[in-house]
Amino acid sequence: MTLSKKVVLIGHFGVGKTSLFRRFIENEFSEEYKVTLGVQIKKKAIQLSDGRELSMIIWDTEGHSNSVEDTRKSYLLGSHAFVYVFDLTRDDSFRNLNIDLEYLKETYPKVTIKVIGNKLDLVNEKEAILHLKEKNISFDYLTSAKTNKNIENFFSDLAEKITE
Amino acid sequence: MVNHQNQIQFNQKTQFTTVALDGSIKKIENPLFDWKTNVSIYDVHPFFEILKDFVENYSPENSEFNFPCIHLEDKKTEKICDVSIKVDQKEIKIVLFDYTKKYNELNEIAQQRNESILTAKELALKNKYLLEKEEFKNDFIANINHEIRTPLTSILGFVEVLEKTQLNFEQEELARIIKRESKHLTALIDDMIDISKIESGTLKVVDERFAFINLVNGFEKSYAKIAEKKGVIFETHIDSSIQEYLIGDRTRVYQIINNLLNNAFKFTEEGKVTFTISKNYQRTNKTSLNFKIEDTGIGILEENIPYLFERFTRFNHDKQISGTGLGLAIVKNLVDLLNGEIKVTSEPDKGTTFNIKLPFKFEITKTSTERKKKKYTLPEHKKKFRILLVEDEEVTQYLIMKILIAQGRFFVDVAINGEQGINYIEKRHYDLILMDLTVSKIDGFQATHIIRNNYGDKFISEIPIIGFSGKADDKSRDKCIRAGMDDFIAKPFEQEELLYKIIKQIAKKAAD
Repeated sequence: MTLSKKVVLIGHFGVGKTSLFRRFIENEFSEEYKVTLGVQIKKKAIQLSDGRELSMIIWDTEGHSNSVEDTRKSYLLGSHAFVYVFDLTRDDSFRNLNIDLEYLKETYPKVTIKVIGNKLDLVNEKEAILHLKEKNISFDYLTSAKTNKNIENFFSDLAEKITE
Repeated sequence: MVNHQNQIQFNQKTQFTTVALDGSIKKIENPLFDWKTNVSIYDVHPFFEILKDFVENYSPENSEFNFPCIHLEDKKTEKICDVSIKVDQKEIKIVLFDYTKKYNELNEIAQQRNESILTAKELALKNKYLLEKEEFKNDFIANINHEIRTPLTSILGFVEVLEKTQLNFEQEELARIIKRESKHLTALIDDMIDISKIESGTLKVVDERFAFINLVNGFEKSYAKIAEKKGVIFETHIDSSIQEYLIGDRTRVYQIINNLLNNAFKFTEEGKVTFTISKNYQRTNKTSLNFKIEDTGIGILEENIPYLFERFTRFNHDKQISGTGLGLAIVKNLVDLLNGEIKVTSEPDKGTTFNIKLPFKFEITKTSTERKKKKYTLPEHKKKFRILLVEDEEVTQYLIMKILIAQGRFFVDVAINGEQGINYIEKRHYDLILMDLTVSKIDGFQATHIIRNNYGDKFISEIPIIGFSGKADDKSRDKCIRAGMDDFIAKPFEQEELLYKIIKQIAKKAAD
């Protein structure tokens, strides 16, 4: 039986969740911003380091405008991982990050949570890291859906983590 | 199932699907998608993978689920549906409500809303970025200005020293070229600073009384020499009713006229340059003057005239004619700043005419001769005057010492930082201190503060101090005066100016 895990992309609108989703699933990128209404779901097979194959079911959800609590609860049901995506060029996209993470950890204690700062191509990496440190923001990966930086690495690491 | 009956009444596009607990599709009613029975629902769309979890964790309390706005697609169809799922111990019932049209309408609204928010944020970010960039640029220009002015002071100063030695004809010519090029470089730096100030809105216009006729005479004198060298006629006409002293920004008026006269001569190889100043009107204490600069030079093509005042515009690519392309942009901006007007007419090979209208004020009661630059001489009660030079750069130390010692009226001591300067004044009486503002340990401002405030001995606390720096802006001058210095001189300075300021301060102190 194929191993399958549900991963939900969450975060503010316009942070690039759909771009990450499209880059990872279809290896495509578009500069055009298209709002996501509701949720779109796709899957991708990932080869794990122990030889098993994981079918990662990725839910690309509609971005919220304030807090992750605005995300529809039903979308989060049965999840194995939440990927909280924020935009490195927009402070408001990570202003509530620590509160959101606390809420997710309390409400979904068994779910793995990872944090991604996206749009790395638009900022100076060192300055961005320093800025996040000043704002007390921790992250797992800094990515660019545009340049494909760290996308594969991130999802591979995530796949290993949720199948441990 | 939650309000399904109601929803169905309003929505004809509803698919009912029954699925076995192992995932195989048993029954499809009113199909929206091209699904087949006996096919696994998990192969139909990844969304339905969620059913595995529902079956696995089934309980009567946890058996109904609603998912709004799910994007579902198969090979032929793409729809946005609300999905209701009911699980029991025998089977799974799935109802799909097709709200594609409604959601697409909502999508358009959400797209517009989000785009406008993101655009506003992007603009704010761009604005912040541009402001930071502007600040960086201004700092950079101020610093580079300082760095360039310091060696330039030395070059200009040493050339002047060199010119006073015994030189043969060739050496004299070479010294003249070095001096001319250094002055050109100084003018270039000034242009860069000005354009940067204009762009950042920090260029201040001052209203001060100045000797207007004297300024015009200065142009007449200096350009007469150039005219003679080039074999061009230079004529100046000035309305005799114009006041000798006017109130306005002398420096900026000088810059405007000098730039235009300089251009006129630059582009005129034969014929003449005419400089005419007339009155447009005069009311109470206000007057408007017209400056007309007319040449018989190469002229400008009509199609190029609209671009004449843009930065880095050069229509003439003759490398023999120097220029940065900033001059006329500065002129236009300065004229605007002074609330004036500038017009240009030109014809190729016939010449160009610039007409500038500038407003001025004048004092009705003052006599015309009272504020001429006063001449100062060193007092005769001493043969030699002792000057303390506080400067850490060796080249500048050497240059100033050379200039002062050559006069035969000065002794010069050198302190390499502010702290050493303070030590020196405690041990010896000085007639004047030349203080670099950026020396180490104690800078020029701090050292001045200590001298003015920490000593009861007037021979120390009242020593005239002249500050000097590569930062040639009004702020540095004001800061020096506020710190208690008596005067300020910007690098690069000319020998004559340095000596004038030193002699003036010593003479004033002696007269007290």
